[in-house]
Amino acid sequence: MKLFSAIWLPLITLLTYLFLYLPILVLILFSFNEADLTSGFSAFSLKWYSELFSSTEIWIAIQNSLIVAGFTVFLSLTMGTFFVLYSSKPMMKWINILNYGEIVISDVVIAGALLSLFAFFTVPLGLVTLIAGHTLIGLGYAIPIIKTSFDEIDKRLIEASMDLGATKGQTFRKVVIPLMTPALVASGLLVFIISLDDFTISFFCAGTSAQTLSLYVFTTIKSGLSPVINAVSTLMIAFSSLLVLIFCSLQTKTRFF
Amino acid sequence: MLERLKVAFGKELDFFLSVPAAIWQILFFGVPILLIVALSFIQFDGPFQFPRLTLVYYLSLLEWPIAKIILRSIFLAAIASICSFLIAYPFSYFLVMKIKRFKVAFLFLLILPFWTNFLLQVYGWYYILDDGGLVNQTFLYLGLISSPLHMLNNFFAVNLLMIYCYLPFMILPIYSSLEKLDKSLIEASLDLGATPLQTLFNVTIPLTKVGIKIGTVLVLVPAFGEFAIPSLMGGGKDMYVGSLVSHFFLTARNSSRGAAFTCLSVLILFAFVGLVFYTFFPKNDLMEEEE
Repeated sequence: MKLFSAIWLPLITLLTYLFLYLPILVLILFSFNEADLTSGFSAFSLKWYSELFSSTEIWIAIQNSLIVAGFTVFLSLTMGTFFVLYSSKPMMKWINILNYGEIVISDVVIAGALLSLFAFFTVPLGLVTLIAGHTLIGLGYAIPIIKTSFDEIDKRLIEASMDLGATKGQTFRKVVIPLMTPALVASGLLVFIISLDDFTISFFCAGTSAQTLSLYVFTTIKSGLSPVINAVSTLMIAFSSLLVLIFCSLQTKTRFF
Repeated sequence: MLERLKVAFGKELDFFLSVPAAIWQILFFGVPILLIVALSFIQFDGPFQFPRLTLVYYLSLLEWPIAKIILRSIFLAAIASICSFLIAYPFSYFLVMKIKRFKVAFLFLLILPFWTNFLLQVYGWYYILDDGGLVNQTFLYLGLISSPLHMLNNFFAVNLLMIYCYLPFMILPIYSSLEKLDKSLIEASLDLGATPLQTLFNVTIPLTKVGIKIGTVLVLVPAFGEFAIPSLMGGGKDMYVGSLVSHFFLTARNSSRGAAFTCLSVLILFAFVGLVFYTFFPKNDLMEEEE
């Protein structure tokens, strides 16, 4: 057992990190590769980046992803915050049950069900339906985080503000929101990344007109390898690193999942 | 009139502000689920005939290929959960108990893959598993093999990628439950003469069961319905639950049969998760403990 904790535990940890990072490192390495083959690194080159910046299709996909993620964050945060602050107890309980339902039902089922809904009412698929689906998932993540942070606020501060003559709106703007800012930023980042990462809901609800980054990557992989994807990955990983750094520095008591 | 409306609205402002989130969840989750349940039982004979209840769609699913697909998905989800648990537990244990400095850096490195688009990571594996990829090149160089191993487009690749993609879902809950664990309990157990192994199985693991349970649900459920990884890594040979759902809804456009299959697979998944919990965590208290 001593041997185990002295040698095996660090080894397992090291190997796990290696396992987690191997594909990421390989992606980054091969984005600077001259040749477009998987076999070996030939020479350093930035040609895939220049190809990336001259391709239009991929930028449209990125733009779509950012639009969807932006709206999803905005809707999840505003609706989620108002819900946590002002909903009655029984409603909270019922919505909580729905939230659990979303966790124990696979994404693919939710996606299929959403598609049936849109098809049933002949709603045209596109960015709007995508935002609807992503916001559903986003609310499931945002509401628990916002609720935890609201529960931790010293309620006497709110009472004091009201007693001292602030209106409800002023209290909300000047007391409640500043106190909850770290949690709001954290849940905003999380929802943003979940929307950006999502594949299943997008695959079902995007239709043919709206292509997101995930869908673009999926179709590209299906048709063969292209190091342009490596270049995108490298930029995306840099971007996510930045977001994770902000997230880690917020020090909120949130679940990461 | 307008004044009165304003007053009435002001009184109910709380309600109007809080209700959109609830409506959203009901409209885009509750209603669609009820809709596919309804679709799976209703048969439309013609435009002017009254729809009637039927079990036709369910009965049409009672065939061996469908059962095989469901069993394959259960097997895949089970392997993903077991393997990711076996990796995640010692890994999180080491991070929580032994790492004192630079903890934030380790945590950062842990969250980053989780926050990176998983399709890009799947794509990265092509460079590792390909016939001319990293593994084959290394093995050939070392002389371990004489011809490249074919590691893509088979059940092995699907499994490996499932473990890879779902590992963070297992690690994070276990990590946080280990972090919450009162470390003095472990010391007490060791002081009172329990061996490290006894301490592990009688103190540490039982006290971190919540994390293990949440991790199991977070891996089992999405892994059961996963379809991006099988369709990218499986070479299109085998169907899984997720691929069949997407086939019914997107390719075959047979939403009644698709709805029936979806409902059936959800029921089977519930039964399977229930069975797992009943076997491994006899006291089923996930809900209370999580709150």
